[in-house]
Amino acid sequence: MDDILTAIRTAVIQGNAGEVESQVKAALEGGMAPKSILDHALIDGMREVGAKFEEGEFFVPEMLVAARAMKGGLTLLRPRLIEEAVEPLGRVVIGTVRGDMHDIGKNLVGMMMEGAGFEVKDLGVNVAPEQFVDAAKAGDVDIIALSALLTTTMPNMADVIKKLDDAGARQKVKVLVGGAPVTEAFAQRIGADGFAPDASQAATLAKSLVA
Amino acid sequence: MTPKERWLAVLAGQSPDRVPMDYWGTPEATRKVRAHLGCRTRWDMIERLRIDAVVGVGPEYVGPKLPRNTDMYGRRYRSVDYGSGRYVECISGPLENYHSVDEIEANYTWPSVDWFDYSVIPGQIRGRKRNYPIRGGGSEPFLIYAELRGREQAYIDLVEHPDIVHYCLDKLFDLCYENTVRIYEQIPGQVNLSYVAEDFGGQESLLFSPAIIREFFLPRMKRMVDLAHQAGAYAFFHSDGAIRRIIPDMIGIGIDVLNPLQWRSPGMDRASLKKDFGDSVVLHGGVDNQYTLPFGTVDEVQSEVRDNIEMMGQGGGYILAPCHNIQAVSPPENVVAMYEAGWEYGRIY
Repeated sequence: MDDILTAIRTAVIQGNAGEVESQVKAALEGGMAPKSILDHALIDGMREVGAKFEEGEFFVPEMLVAARAMKGGLTLLRPRLIEEAVEPLGRVVIGTVRGDMHDIGKNLVGMMMEGAGFEVKDLGVNVAPEQFVDAAKAGDVDIIALSALLTTTMPNMADVIKKLDDAGARQKVKVLVGGAPVTEAFAQRIGADGFAPDASQAATLAKSLVA
Repeated sequence: MTPKERWLAVLAGQSPDRVPMDYWGTPEATRKVRAHLGCRTRWDMIERLRIDAVVGVGPEYVGPKLPRNTDMYGRRYRSVDYGSGRYVECISGPLENYHSVDEIEANYTWPSVDWFDYSVIPGQIRGRKRNYPIRGGGSEPFLIYAELRGREQAYIDLVEHPDIVHYCLDKLFDLCYENTVRIYEQIPGQVNLSYVAEDFGGQESLLFSPAIIREFFLPRMKRMVDLAHQAGAYAFFHSDGAIRRIIPDMIGIGIDVLNPLQWRSPGMDRASLKKDFGDSVVLHGGVDNQYTLPFGTVDEVQSEVRDNIEMMGQGGGYILAPCHNIQAVSPPENVVAMYEAGWEYGRIY
């Protein structure tokens, strides 16, 4: 049984989507527990991808193909995980703030969080503060993750936090911020709960916040 | 020295009378600085701040009529409001739905240099602009490729569809090459700089592996660098971000100028760039545009300018400039402080 988990994990790291799908199907048909496949193949595989990124061996293209392969496997697993009432590690709502149309970094963060076991709802780009507030008020959200690439749109992150406050929803969620010009100091100044410099570290930070 | 003489001295490895200062800014940011200074035109502002600006030349589009919000590549755009201004962002590309080179060849028409009128170029360098360095031609094709394919797909293509990337980059680089040749022909020997650009860097590290950069980009960029050198122009390499690992390769293909020196990123500290690469390339940029110019104080701007000049200006080899286009979020006071400090400290070396 370990062979098939190793095969899935390797296929995730190589970004081989077809192989991930066929091996996940085979594993399920062979009676393997979906939670095992998730934890020991998909999540472990993405953890390895994150490590390779942090070590400077993997770059954005390799991460994107790996994440896509992981998502293909996850799509097959998801109905079975729901059937067996397997809870995600936490629930994340992510989006690029108003006025900013950039999404590569945000997508990578979402994928790495999904690959770490989170359920991720992606609100897309140019997201109005109210949409984040509505998501937080609707409940069942642990983390709101905000992205910005532009110095001109960074201030809109502070606006989201303020509107969460105004709506009485700030304490219900942890707010993470990231994007090229965003720094730890900026995150602290606007009252965010956390900042990470890259997608891999963002997933690690998210895990620590829901632990 | 005139601004042009000052640049050419630095580019030739000689000491200038003072550190040259370049300007990069969005139209909105420029309007704000102009209003702050009471300058009527951009060139009035350039002269007022004693900036050694670069004059860009280029042809005029006279090709097929384009649909609204669409460019000659078929990229569609929309205007996005970011709160204190607007910018234009690509929303869809014409090659997003193709899966092979054959499909693209069968369905897509590449733009042609014949769609441009180059005879307008000599008229672009008359009057007071004669004293400033001239930039023309060059290349930055992956930026275009990413919008033709969709950015995420473009990155994935580098791994999964190398044939599509090679085919499209050949087309795009050929277009850049021919465009550059025609610009040089219009004003022989007068173009000083060509930008051979490509964004290889993220905030923390390279976006692509060195292997990908060497396979897809360097041979094609070298052809552009060689073309510039044959025409007596210098090759100005721009890449945002943390690109330390690839700088020796860039020097290997012959670049003359390294921009923009995002020194807060890992591996990009100023003193080590000067020490390791200062003998091989001119360093250009270095005034941080992510914290210092938009959110720093006037004091912080002044001390950063002084540090830059002290660390990188010795013996020439440095041109002071922002680390990309100054954005409207930067207070005009900071922009003015940058150039006043550059003038003051830049005379020391």
